[in-house]
Amino acid sequence: MKEKTKRTIAFYSMISPWFVVFIIFGLYPMLYGLYLSFTNYYGFNIKHLKWMGLQNYHKAFTDSDAMYSLGRTLYVTAFNVPLSVAIGLGLALLLNRQVRGVSVYRTIFYLPSIVPALASVIMWKVIFSSNNGILNGILSTVGLPEVNWLGYDYATTSLLIMLLWGAGGGVLINLAGLKGIPRDLYEAASIDGATPIKRTIYLTLPLMTPVIFFNVIMGIIGSLQIYMQPILLNGTELLARPIQPNYLYFVHAFQQIFAFQRFAYGMALLWILFLAILALSVVVFTTSKYWVHYETDQE
Amino acid sequence: MRKWSIMLTMVTAAAVVLSGCGSNDNGGSGNNGGNAATTNDSGGNNTGGNAGGNAAAGNDAGSANSGEVVTIRTNITDGELSKDQIAEFEKAHPNIKVEIETVDATKLAAELATGDAPDVIRLSGVFDLPNYVIKGIALDLTDRMNTSTVIKQDDLLPISNVYRFDGKTVGAGPIYGLPKDWSNDYAIFYNKKLFDAAGVAVPDPTKPLTWPEVMDLAKKLTIKDGDKVKQYGLAANEWGKTEPNFNNLLQYLLSAGVDVSAADGASVDFNQPAVKDYIDMWVDAVKNNVGPNSVNNDQTSGGDLFFKDQVAMIIDGYWYSGAIRNNEGAKTHLADYGMLPTPTAPNGTRVAPTGGATGAIINKASKHPDEAWTFFEWFFGGKPADDRASTGWGLPIFKSKMDLLPKDTDFDKQVNAVLQDELNYTSEYLKVNPYLAGGGWSIFDKYVQPLYFGKSNLDEAISGMTKDANVAIQEAKDAVEASQ
Repeated sequence: MKEKTKRTIAFYSMISPWFVVFIIFGLYPMLYGLYLSFTNYYGFNIKHLKWMGLQNYHKAFTDSDAMYSLGRTLYVTAFNVPLSVAIGLGLALLLNRQVRGVSVYRTIFYLPSIVPALASVIMWKVIFSSNNGILNGILSTVGLPEVNWLGYDYATTSLLIMLLWGAGGGVLINLAGLKGIPRDLYEAASIDGATPIKRTIYLTLPLMTPVIFFNVIMGIIGSLQIYMQPILLNGTELLARPIQPNYLYFVHAFQQIFAFQRFAYGMALLWILFLAILALSVVVFTTSKYWVHYETDQE
Repeated sequence: MRKWSIMLTMVTAAAVVLSGCGSNDNGGSGNNGGNAATTNDSGGNNTGGNAGGNAAAGNDAGSANSGEVVTIRTNITDGELSKDQIAEFEKAHPNIKVEIETVDATKLAAELATGDAPDVIRLSGVFDLPNYVIKGIALDLTDRMNTSTVIKQDDLLPISNVYRFDGKTVGAGPIYGLPKDWSNDYAIFYNKKLFDAAGVAVPDPTKPLTWPEVMDLAKKLTIKDGDKVKQYGLAANEWGKTEPNFNNLLQYLLSAGVDVSAADGASVDFNQPAVKDYIDMWVDAVKNNVGPNSVNNDQTSGGDLFFKDQVAMIIDGYWYSGAIRNNEGAKTHLADYGMLPTPTAPNGTRVAPTGGATGAIINKASKHPDEAWTFFEWFFGGKPADDRASTGWGLPIFKSKMDLLPKDTDFDKQVNAVLQDELNYTSEYLKVNPYLAGGGWSIFDKYVQPLYFGKSNLDEAISGMTKDANVAIQEAKDAVEASQ
């Protein structure tokens, strides 16, 4: 057997456990969902499915709620991704310094990422409340007018604040990236007289672009799928409808499936989201060659 | 290569979107959107102990001959059916094991979708039953009910007919299930202390108020200290805000004699004066801060406020007397509390309907309908029914069990006196569109919420909700017809 064939067999046999699980529990349900999105599946009529062609997809583009919620989702994503990537990186730069108690700070900033979403929403509701809420308390102490954080005008801002509170989750991978930058590069730069700021701009940032790139991609994927936070920020249960500005796309799909039993339409909505995620990711990928710096050559 | 591994990770992550979005969300309290108005089950502390008794005599014809042990799955919650009760049942019926399955509304929807739902399905009689019947999920129990020695038909209160549905009208046709208990869910409980603080007299409990009168009262009971509210007048429910909701609207319409659905359920029209009056009245209440709402952004729930002596009235049914009796702060001065009859629409007829009637049906797809029935009979007519009635967390469905309700304190006596009167007005049911089911709640919220913030107007809201509801109804109807 040729060396290459051997290696190929080894490769596939090693990834096969993951692959088998993915096919059974990932790919198959996905494709079945794709099939259902072309039917009139209503949650009870699995034995009497009718082929509807592209009707559900067509409906999504004429459904004012779907388009509205997609717009709101892109809006949230447009703020959430850049800000959370920047905050995650900024925190990592600070936490990469050798100061006393740095591991305590690292834990503190990472903590929001391990708090369950439900618990963090309940906590933020108290913060945003107008009745003894902490945020309005601070505003009135410094003499600013109180606002309705969960009302029409500020609900999305509040959602973003809550999401960005979890931006410390990116610290871990950013720190790993920072630790991977060879120390001698910094030494060489210092000898050449580069200031700390210049070292950050011309050394750290370019070398961190692969990590930033990864965070941007994962951020987009995650951000387009947000649904639990906006629902629970205004409601008390998952079938509650969020306040209109926070009616995001995934919430709409969730509502269609579980409040209206429009399973087929919900599947179509999710496949459209999948395509949107794919398209956005491809866009980011194609731009990556202009701004992502790899130290090694790419295959 | 690195690029590709990122790409692969990305696709996998995206796959999570598509392989079932209900996977990691068990956080919510997940009660069905439709029956949210009645959490009769919040405290259901069944005492358990010596259950079983009279159920053993039931007609378990089908089960005796096989000898094999079958498992009956149900999503009746463990708060409503204790381990001790199950043990008693299993002892009396060695051929049946009972398994409680904890499901939220989303998981149940998924199980129904895949044909994997429990044998005995817990649901809201008012909001879910017609929908389950038209979808062919509910087993017709008429013959079993008529021959049952445990559940005697002539002992049942009219309210149990909320589990009858002939395809068009609730209350008529075959029997599909029973409520475990029920309440006059749109009645009002008050705290006299707060009436005194506002210098307002408690209304006469023998005559129902109209809803506009309730709102006026709520305004008088709301006391402000500058910008801050010292006490509110009204809570719309124990778990949320003082805002209108779909269930509450249906009670108002029932009293006003208005049905937004066409006779065959094929369409709805919200463009009716009564709907507009209802929404106007409530938007005005929101703007006047009579309770916690989206505009004043007070995140304290109605129930919390009620027990903190910060809201004078709360819209809730008889079951809430159980909450009051069991509250540490309230039980020391029960005489301050009382129930007022269910309000009516202006010039409307008096109705005191149930807004939930949580109970169960037997799944038509159950492989063990006989054993499921044995369990059903015991749970609804046997010892658990007595246990439920004596806690006062809900009203029994049997005339003969009414005596078991708490009746010792002055509070109990006041509540029971109002209740006796209310019972005369419980034979009408909320007019729920079977195709819209729980969806009405969401559509209503979508169009009414912007009104509080002045982001829309009433006519837009009415036409919007009519349009959305009709789309949902038409689609559901098509799917039902295509499957028949």
